[in-house]
Amino acid sequence: MIELRDVTKIFNAGQPNEFAAVRDVSLTLDGRGAVAITGPSGSGKTTLLSLIACMARPTSGRITVDGETISSLPERFLTEIRRRAFGFIFQQFNLIRGLSARENVMLPAYPTGAPLGRIRGEAARLLDRLGLASKADVRVEWLSGGEAQRVAIARALINNPSVVVADEPTAHLDTALSKDFMEIMRGLRDEGRTLIFASHDPLVYESDLIQRVVRMRDGRVLDAGGQP
Amino acid sequence: MTAGLRRHLRIVGYVIGSLRRRWRKNAAVVGVYGLVIFTLASVVFLTQSLTQESVASLQSSPEIMVQRLSAGRHGLSPVTDAGALTQIAGVGAVAPRRWAYLTDPATGETLLLRVAEGGRLREHEATAGAEVLRRRGLAVGGTLSLRGDAGEPLALTITGVAATSTPLEAAALITVSETAFRALSGMPDGQAMDLALRVRNRRELPTIAAKIGESHPATRPIIRDDLVRTYTALFNWRSGVIVASLLVPVLAFILFAWDKAAGLSPDERREIGILKAVGWETADVILLKCYEAATVSLAAFVLGAGLAIAVLVLPRPPAVLPVLLGWSTLYPSFRPAPALGAYQVATLFFLTVFPYLVATVVPAWRAGTTDPDLVMRG
Repeated sequence: MIELRDVTKIFNAGQPNEFAAVRDVSLTLDGRGAVAITGPSGSGKTTLLSLIACMARPTSGRITVDGETISSLPERFLTEIRRRAFGFIFQQFNLIRGLSARENVMLPAYPTGAPLGRIRGEAARLLDRLGLASKADVRVEWLSGGEAQRVAIARALINNPSVVVADEPTAHLDTALSKDFMEIMRGLRDEGRTLIFASHDPLVYESDLIQRVVRMRDGRVLDAGGQP
Repeated sequence: MTAGLRRHLRIVGYVIGSLRRRWRKNAAVVGVYGLVIFTLASVVFLTQSLTQESVASLQSSPEIMVQRLSAGRHGLSPVTDAGALTQIAGVGAVAPRRWAYLTDPATGETLLLRVAEGGRLREHEATAGAEVLRRRGLAVGGTLSLRGDAGEPLALTITGVAATSTPLEAAALITVSETAFRALSGMPDGQAMDLALRVRNRRELPTIAAKIGESHPATRPIIRDDLVRTYTALFNWRSGVIVASLLVPVLAFILFAWDKAAGLSPDERREIGILKAVGWETADVILLKCYEAATVSLAAFVLGAGLAIAVLVLPRPPAVLPVLLGWSTLYPSFRPAPALGAYQVATLFFLTVFPYLVATVVPAWRAGTTDPDLVMRG
């Protein structure tokens, strides 16, 4: 369970360009299932997603993951939780150019100190599951948009996280690929993982996969739950 | 194997891949960086070689040499001075030294002429350093043609290779009989170049030198240790002058390194952000950049220092040699024996590798401490 209490995130604090991306948000994401955070551009979706997934610390307020307060943890422990509990799928995919699909997938597992054979095996299994076995050794810059996103999904799953976080996952995909993506996510949900999306694409937040939609505007939560 | 060790191995593996991906940039840095290290290393190693050479040359010298001054300059010493010097307390033995510089008109080289010890050479016999023979294409049994002080030709039969302790000696030394020495150098009978003193107690050297200075004001006592210090200081000073003249290219490289290493490219910043976002700690990122910088700087160090050593042993002397030696015509052409002191290598290593590591790791640490959520924003 992820719980946010009065969470605020201010960027460039004390500077003339200071702005609050998230203001006084209190939210509880309990159990398994899929949640969509939606709202117009600049509404604070991505920042909220970052805070939930230990990518950034709040300026004020408290965040707990499974009862453990993470908002005040030192960077090292925060990273450990992020690596263990969360898998990320970025809007721009954020794959490292020059590396193969397999190498990109294996990256999050390196700091765990797991044996190389096990990491390689898990990467091969994930790439195979996502239909990319034949592309494992292809450099990621040579992959299509859909293939690159599936590599990003495999990378998000390499450490077997309980929560998968995706930021605007369909922003660079056509309708068919977006539907494929949602089907892959359905499979992950059925495995018992929690899915959290930040998206303003109806294909995502109106999908029957989504059990809860959180609506945001101007950094505040307008509606914390319920079906669209 | 522990998880910690495996983590290091994975990071090392990633570093190898990363260096391979940016091989053009890394090769350029190693090339320029190596060139700078090569230039500095050449000066440092050559200075060390020359200093060692001069110190080794002096090892066989007497503890104190006494020169006669004439019109304020070094003149010939009467052999009879030896008797008076022997009377000074602490002086063990005094021996006149007969040696001279000799210009060989055939080659234009300056040779070092000595009287063979124990009178073992006959009038028309000589021994010569191995390099002297090699350059003239001579062997034992061959004839060395020189010109006497009065201009008369003098043919000497080579009876052996003179024992020498340094390459400098091997390139210059000729030993002859006393008669031939007089004919070649023009040094009058009863005169010597200087007087060599053996002293019973080394700690009394300065005292004895002071006594000689007082009792024989027309002489100049020279303590061997002072001479060693002078040579060392001289070469270090010349080395310093050259290093100072290299400041501009060194500074240019530092700016280049700072630009390339400190100013992480957008690609590198993005890569660090992604690694952080997918679960790498700041410590992992710093370790990654440390390994990268260490590989680049070590490769440049090995390249630069290796080239500098190669130049020392190559047949053609490096261009910087005359600058370090000075322009004195007294020196024959010779190859100084490579001498690499651990201190010089360590100093060079610290002055070249350490700044690059700092220039690389500090900005990587700054980038590594950036919140990974900035990456999510693209």
